[in-house]
Amino acid sequence: MELKKLLIFFILMCGSGIAMAQRGIIKGKISGQQNEPLAGATLLVNGTTSSTAADLNGDYQFYVNPGNLNLTVRYLGYRDTTINVSLTAGQLKVINITLKSRQAALEGVVITGYTEGQAKALNQQKNADNIKNIIAADQIGKFPDPNAAEALQRVPGVTIERDQGEGRYVSLRGLAPQFTNTSVNGEQIPSPEADVRYVALDAIPSDQLASIEVSKALTPDMDGDAIGGSINLITRSAQSKKPTISGTLGGGYNNLMRKGNVQGQLQYGQRFGDKEQFGLLLNSNYYQNNLGSDGIERAINDNELETRDYELTRTRLGLSSALDYRFNNHHEVYFRTLYSRFTDREWRRRYVFKPSDEEIEKLTKDRFEAQSVLSMNAGAKHTFKSFLLDYEAQYSYAEQNTPYDNEAAFVAGIPSVLNYADTRYPSISTDEDYKNNSLYGFNELGMGNTIAKDKNLTAKVNVSVPYKINSSDGLIKFGGKVRSKNKSYNITQNTFENLGGVPNLDQFAGSPVKDKFMGGRYELGNPLDLSSLIRYFNANPSQFELQIADKAADEALESFEASEDVYAGYLMGRQQIKKLMILGGVRYERTKVSYSSKDVIIAANGDLEAIRPVTGSSVYDFVLPQLHLKYELDKFSNLRAAVTYSYARPNFSEIIPSQEINREDRVATIGNANLKPVKALNYDLMAEHYFGSVGIASAGLFYKKLDNFIYRRTIFNSPYPTTGTPIIPRIDITQSQNGNDADVLGAEIALQRRLSFIPFLDDFSVYLNYTYTHSKARIQSRQANEGNANATEEIRLPGQASHVGNASVAYEGKKFSARLSLNFNGSYLSELGGTKDEDIFIKNRMQLDATAGYAINNKFRLFVEALNLTNQPLQAYQGNSTQYIQREFYSYWMRFGVKFNL
Amino acid sequence: MPALALLAVSACSKRNDNVVTPNVGDKFPQIINLADEGDGGLEDEDKFSFKVGLIDRADPSGENLEGAIVPLKKAVRVNFAVTHFEGFNKLSDYIKEAKAFYEIDDCTTSEDKDIDLKLNFDVNTGKGSFEFPAGVEEVEIEFETNDALFDDDVLNTDDRKIEIQLTGIDNAGTNVTLNTANKFEYEVLDDESVFGEYEIDVNNATQFNSFVQLFGLINEDVKNLKAADVEEIKIEFAYNEFKAVITLKETEQVEECGEMEEVNKEIEIEGGIEELDTKTLAGAVEFADDIEQEDGTEAEFKYSGEFTLNGKNLVLTLKGEYNDNETEEITLNLNK
Repeated sequence: MELKKLLIFFILMCGSGIAMAQRGIIKGKISGQQNEPLAGATLLVNGTTSSTAADLNGDYQFYVNPGNLNLTVRYLGYRDTTINVSLTAGQLKVINITLKSRQAALEGVVITGYTEGQAKALNQQKNADNIKNIIAADQIGKFPDPNAAEALQRVPGVTIERDQGEGRYVSLRGLAPQFTNTSVNGEQIPSPEADVRYVALDAIPSDQLASIEVSKALTPDMDGDAIGGSINLITRSAQSKKPTISGTLGGGYNNLMRKGNVQGQLQYGQRFGDKEQFGLLLNSNYYQNNLGSDGIERAINDNELETRDYELTRTRLGLSSALDYRFNNHHEVYFRTLYSRFTDREWRRRYVFKPSDEEIEKLTKDRFEAQSVLSMNAGAKHTFKSFLLDYEAQYSYAEQNTPYDNEAAFVAGIPSVLNYADTRYPSISTDEDYKNNSLYGFNELGMGNTIAKDKNLTAKVNVSVPYKINSSDGLIKFGGKVRSKNKSYNITQNTFENLGGVPNLDQFAGSPVKDKFMGGRYELGNPLDLSSLIRYFNANPSQFELQIADKAADEALESFEASEDVYAGYLMGRQQIKKLMILGGVRYERTKVSYSSKDVIIAANGDLEAIRPVTGSSVYDFVLPQLHLKYELDKFSNLRAAVTYSYARPNFSEIIPSQEINREDRVATIGNANLKPVKALNYDLMAEHYFGSVGIASAGLFYKKLDNFIYRRTIFNSPYPTTGTPIIPRIDITQSQNGNDADVLGAEIALQRRLSFIPFLDDFSVYLNYTYTHSKARIQSRQANEGNANATEEIRLPGQASHVGNASVAYEGKKFSARLSLNFNGSYLSELGGTKDEDIFIKNRMQLDATAGYAINNKFRLFVEALNLTNQPLQAYQGNSTQYIQREFYSYWMRFGVKFNL
Repeated sequence: MPALALLAVSACSKRNDNVVTPNVGDKFPQIINLADEGDGGLEDEDKFSFKVGLIDRADPSGENLEGAIVPLKKAVRVNFAVTHFEGFNKLSDYIKEAKAFYEIDDCTTSEDKDIDLKLNFDVNTGKGSFEFPAGVEEVEIEFETNDALFDDDVLNTDDRKIEIQLTGIDNAGTNVTLNTANKFEYEVLDDESVFGEYEIDVNNATQFNSFVQLFGLINEDVKNLKAADVEEIKIEFAYNEFKAVITLKETEQVEECGEMEEVNKEIEIEGGIEELDTKTLAGAVEFADDIEQEDGTEAEFKYSGEFTLNGKNLVLTLKGEYNDNETEEITLNLNK
């Protein structure tokens, strides 16, 4: 079936009758009055359908018929400008165009600051062949978003998952993060985390980026493994001969921790040579943030309640460089690097109240984690008389290094009573003082370290052949890509219990970190100082007993090595027929994967029975036809439609053959190396109108039909192993499996515009977007048992929020600017439970942020940002929306400082 | 300068703030420890012993997932001391002398091979030391005791016990250490209390059937017993342990240290004591244990009830629970 689609496509392409003629080339740069590139500016040859758009650097090029031509330059916020050019056959002419705002800007519209960034983004978005959203660096800088995930939350249809109040994972259009593909400069980057493919975008500082593109419908020249969409993070490059030095110097304050934070950014960029052949850009930034949270968690089935006191220090270091050399107007090479390092030192101090066991547990965890991502892209672009050639090699490496992850637990035999009359703040009563550390005896001390590595080696090549049929311009593009991935995860874990002699907790007590916890509703007393305990451990090892079987099981269970080779090729055509642009093509991707890990078998009596090495492998192919239509209703309005195929590879944690076989409980969790990726057919429809004063009103519909949807299934009384000679006759096996369908239907609307049409409000602008999503998927019924194992039930897709939106009002004067931003994430299913009543949902959350800036002069600008002004908590519930199982508060935090552009 | 800047930046991450690197893996030393927390013997016992052994480590061969003892490569000298005793005035009144040895195999000890562990023990101070040789897993220290000191005919309500701790190690280097916190407690068990061995009259059909009904709950062989097949049935309350031994008339040939001998077949039932009143002639008793099932899982049994002592006679009333089955209260009459 897949090959048939490919064959039909080739026949259509070959039969289309491509007419090539000897033509000329016009290329150059379009910039504004400050020499800033006007990304997305359109050039069109009057009286023809020949047009092109400037890229992020303002560079453009296109093949045109020779003659005396009138070119019109179009850019939102500026009047159309026309230039006359004479061109002979085969000639390449460089035309650099500078739009002077005094002459060209629309009356009453000052293109500065935020509007400038918005103009860049919207011009690119307007001219894009596919449905995409773009946010430019200037625009990112106007929202208080320190990392790429938080910058993305402003895009229609984007949901973010937060960690300790900071955005981390990004979901597009109601699908979980594993359905989104993340790239840097057009090429996928590996994930530092062991068990997933998707990248925690809080590791990437937003100051590193020139822009972020969110493609919601794929074209054949893009990787096909992106059902939700594809996020492309684009780093900066040098623009002009004049050196540019810009940066930020600032500090901040976290109200919960009553601690400060620091940030800084410095960027230098310049082009060298008499023809500005060599460009160099260096960017570095650093952000250190002291944060924390106060939380409570409840385990309903176990009747347990936890208080959780988090204290964290996070740093983000970003270094990037871009070097490019233009040999002449035909040939250039480039080398781009991006290095991001995110560190997270976390102290977690807990009480766990266990009335059923008449025990209270007191624990402290101390963990340091460093996530690094390195990406190096080297490539070249060539402009030949009749075709364009570009190729690139990329090396990227991601690592999550956890040099220590230590946690100790002490236990006191104190009965407690938990009362949930106030579901928001359950009450705890105990006969004895639970803060009395002398009552807590040593239980265990776990000390471990892990390292996860992921390396990609990629090579790709693209060839673009422009052509003309009658008066209609077209382009045929084809190319190929090879990517080799190696991923591994190694664990070292040592857990010790009391061999005899370890003193009670009062000997290791530290000082409280916060004056009040949860607004003074709960008391924590003096916490366990973990370092003090480890010092005691080092001095008195004879009192500690290593849990040897636990060590063997812990180290074997999740460790794995995996390799994945991807081979891809595509062929696409783009044809302009008057106002209609048709882009169609097909992409073929073949993936070969192999994995090795270990089985951990727990004997019927609970002892560790065996650890056995296992391997798995699979090969799968995808043929992905893509069709995009764009109809230009007028010069400011487009209608777009797309039908595309895409897929999403499973998470590594689902496919590695790692297994836990627990014969004592008669349950097994096993990986499925034969798990197929989820396949999707996507329909998109979008209408968009751009405002000449910089703005957009858009509305769109999308529908996704997912096949081979992955879900976790329990196979009752299965033999183990499931193939070959069984060593266990009957055991309940839980495994991720393919088989069920899922549908996602959604609508999104967006409005961005200056209120210049309202008297006295012409310095104000609004930024509004809203996305509604509905999904359903069929899974094996949670009521299923041996007798009706094939019973199914319908669920909503985990991670899918029905309502997502942003509302922002900004004032932008000549010197002063301010913005209030609301971000709303609707409730979503976070985790499927054993029964429907055990499903865990994340509750609605609406965060209010504010920013303000004051331009001292053209070079220096003061800024202040305040986030989470209304202290919105993270809240999870189970069963019903008032039965909270987690509430976590962060208070507000701020950043302030000065930005300069010398 | 860049290096300095990077150093400053990494300092802000607090990676090393108040971090102590634990001595784990190869840095975690070999530990010598008391093998048991305690033991007990009846009043007329003429000896007791404690064992000192190495704690399990991760098996370097990877064969034993639960760990294995890795013997020392070099001998060390282990010091110990009697740190506390009750029920008598002078240690030398009770302990006469001591010796140290280790097992070479099931039939041979180091003593048999004249291997001297150079034990020193001062019966006046209670302090001693011995050599823990290379290549050895466990050393046993045995004390010869005065068997007449506590052997009376009255029910004692005071404790008579002795506590021993390891106190130090010589020649150990950094790779071997010992636990000085743990204690071995030897308890003198009063044979006027419930402790001791009792016998059921196999020829008393009522008593025999009661025994079968009670313990047939957890043991199929006992359930199918006929009195004619049984030589004798004894039960014993020992230190932290209940034991019932059914000696059958049927015999078998067994090899014992190279020699074949004919012995009676036995059925043994054991349980750990969960509750036992020991300083009284009547009180509560409870013992329990796990039994491996056909599919490899384990299920717990529990017997609980009361006892009454009248001279040499013990009246034991128990109720058994196992695998959702239970017996009614059954009374056994036993004699010492």
